[in-house]
Amino acid sequence: MKQKQLVYIYLLFMAFALPSTAQAMHISEGVLPPQWAALWFIVAFPFVAWGLRDLRIKSQRDPAFKLMVGLVGSAVFVISCMPIPVPTAGTCSHPCGTGMAAILIGPTLTVVVSSIALLLQALFLSHGGLTTLGGNILSMGIVGAFTGWAVFRITRKLGLPVWSAAFLCGVVSDWATYATTSFELASALHGTSSFLKMFAAIGASFMPTQIPLGIFEGVITAGIYQFIMPRRPEVVECLGVEKPQPVIESNKAEAVV
Amino acid sequence: MNSFALETDKVSFAYPDGFVALKEIVFRVKRGEFVAMLASNGSGKTTLIKVLAGLLVPQSGSVKVDGQPLREYSQAALYQRLGLVFQNPNDQLFGATVAEDVAFGPRNLGLPEQEVQCRVAEALLAVGAEELAARAIHHLSFGQQKRVAIAGVLAMKPAILILDEPTAGLDPAGEHSMLRLLGSLNREQGITIVLATHSVDTLPLFADRIYLLNRGRVLKEGPSEEVFRDHELIESASLRLPYVSRLLHELKRFHGVPIEGLPLTLGEAREQLLKLIPDEVILPVIKEGGL
Amino acid sequence: MSLLSEIFSDLFARQDNVLTRVDPRTKLIVALGALCAMIFSRTPLFPLAVLALCLVATIAVGVPKRLVVLRLAAPLGIASVLLLLQSVMAGTTPLWTLVILGAKITITREGFSGGLLLASRVLGGMSVMLLLSSVTPAHRIFHAMRALGAPEGWVEIAMLMYRYTFVLLDLTAEVVSAQKVRLGYAGMQRGLCSAGLLGGTVILRAMDQAVATNEAMRVRGYNGKIPLGPMPALARCDAWILGGSGVVLAGLFFGTEVLCR
Repeated sequence: MKQKQLVYIYLLFMAFALPSTAQAMHISEGVLPPQWAALWFIVAFPFVAWGLRDLRIKSQRDPAFKLMVGLVGSAVFVISCMPIPVPTAGTCSHPCGTGMAAILIGPTLTVVVSSIALLLQALFLSHGGLTTLGGNILSMGIVGAFTGWAVFRITRKLGLPVWSAAFLCGVVSDWATYATTSFELASALHGTSSFLKMFAAIGASFMPTQIPLGIFEGVITAGIYQFIMPRRPEVVECLGVEKPQPVIESNKAEAVV
Repeated sequence: MNSFALETDKVSFAYPDGFVALKEIVFRVKRGEFVAMLASNGSGKTTLIKVLAGLLVPQSGSVKVDGQPLREYSQAALYQRLGLVFQNPNDQLFGATVAEDVAFGPRNLGLPEQEVQCRVAEALLAVGAEELAARAIHHLSFGQQKRVAIAGVLAMKPAILILDEPTAGLDPAGEHSMLRLLGSLNREQGITIVLATHSVDTLPLFADRIYLLNRGRVLKEGPSEEVFRDHELIESASLRLPYVSRLLHELKRFHGVPIEGLPLTLGEAREQLLKLIPDEVILPVIKEGGL
Repeated sequence: MSLLSEIFSDLFARQDNVLTRVDPRTKLIVALGALCAMIFSRTPLFPLAVLALCLVATIAVGVPKRLVVLRLAAPLGIASVLLLLQSVMAGTTPLWTLVILGAKITITREGFSGGLLLASRVLGGMSVMLLLSSVTPAHRIFHAMRALGAPEGWVEIAMLMYRYTFVLLDLTAEVVSAQKVRLGYAGMQRGLCSAGLLGGTVILRAMDQAVATNEAMRVRGYNGKIPLGPMPALARCDAWILGGSGVVLAGLFFGTEVLCR
């Protein structure tokens, strides 16, 4: 009986959750109770500070770096607004783009950029929220960027081709984000019932959309990377993907414009 | 101290991929002049502009601004003398509102806020965009964006203004009013103007002198009548004569119509034609019509 | 995409009305205060009261109802999911028992009231952000955040991102139409491929734009810092507004708490 009830709860949740999958990744304003909201802010803060420190150091060396971060940030933001059809749900969802951004500008700056993107989305698009900003920065910015970046680096070290590294980066960052979001939601909402039961329910109801969506994200990340690499190798180098020294020389980039 | 606002001596520039964009360019602009670089796409206009503005460093040759070599200038000193307006206003307009964006330059100069606001107001007034001050950049039309981009540079109070394709993408009325604006900045405020363009029709009205560029070389230099006289050269540079001149030129060449010289503007052409048309052919109504 | 641009564009925030004239710092503080009070509230009455106030204000300043509905549609979906989820999964005291297709689903009293509280917080919170963004342009919000102590680098990147999002949105719309007219989205495989190309194009354009903007900024004296203009000093009326809204919010907060006890 208990089993059956869970199945129904699951179906019920699906029916309502699916139309709003676009919002699934963002924890909505008001969902997190004060202590959890505060905790995630405290966790997220050092990462944002770390990113800002990197920004300061790198843009002192080269003022163009700030522009590059801002522009790549808004490009990734725009890409994250591109609708992708999700066949299982029959609706559209959106890529997060954090994996892509982490490849291009590094994970710490991706955290900065996604904190801004999340604020803009909360204020102007009703995705996410202000008190939940810390939680969303953690799941989308920090976890998404660092896992994606680490996977990309490790696969490259292993000598796998670039497209597969980019693909895995997209997949892992997307799934890691979704697992973190589920964790944050479950820990805040389980109330008197067990945390694991809640985590399983939330995780399971996101799964049918998030599994294909993660793969799509991987395909798109690989596609984007394949598109940029041959056309602008030096820019990608400058951004520290292939070589660690980030020096953007305007002359250099000019040559291919 | 010579009278050149801008002066290059045999400047050559090659991009790192080996493409030679400029070959021994000699380019001189006197103070207070209105000079146009006339060139087809891909012939080195933008590169030359960036070399003049110190954004690209040529491999050989020297660039002087007000008689002083470019490399001796500090950034702040150089860009208060010389302003550069880019072809695509989006490159330049990054502020959230018009007033914020125009204030960017003056604030970089470390001026007190009162002076900043004063310059913003002046610059917007000069380009006729004072009513746009509070608007968001992303709500402006393309023509408005171009004007605001110029205001942003004027707020630096440069003595020399270099513009890359200021009329590209504008409608005929916009093109004309843009050139009129530049003409008035040139005459009334004494700003030296250098612009790159390939719009031949309106140019002879405004430019004192024209540099004809092709494939990184200066083909010809001089007042517009002089440059346009050599039609074959113009055509070899993938350009053309202004339509009205071409019409009169062909009338003369193929039909033996006796036209003196080569009229370049509508006004000159009209005068020439009126001289040739017998009075009795002209209907009195049209004559009364204010010609 | 055009819809997004429309929502995102701060057209209404740029109109002149009572609320747009208020100093953005004041509005930001009041909004943050309301949001925090909301997650501390123990009864759904307080968030619902805030929701009502914000909706009335949003409509009153002339935001079209269609846009309000659009902005609140997704939060409404989330709120109903939360209500259902909490009702069936939390608590022990049965309130109603539904039999659907032979399965018994028990809605509990604690779960239902907890769900109601969460749902009201979501809607109340969203309405506060809706009102704030309808009467304050994004750059003013960033400016206010800088004045209230947000880090300089963060605000600079935020301003740049916001400005160039519009340029890139236009580009994306153009590329998508160009791909559509050449059947780029016929079928999933081709669609994914086109999406990759689109993303790549957007990023490349963004990089070129960064190089070009950097040059244009250098010519105007940029040396690594984007100067923000000063904020005017807070006027006396700002103190009144702050105090007034503080009193109203506190009154509502404690009033509803007492009412529910």
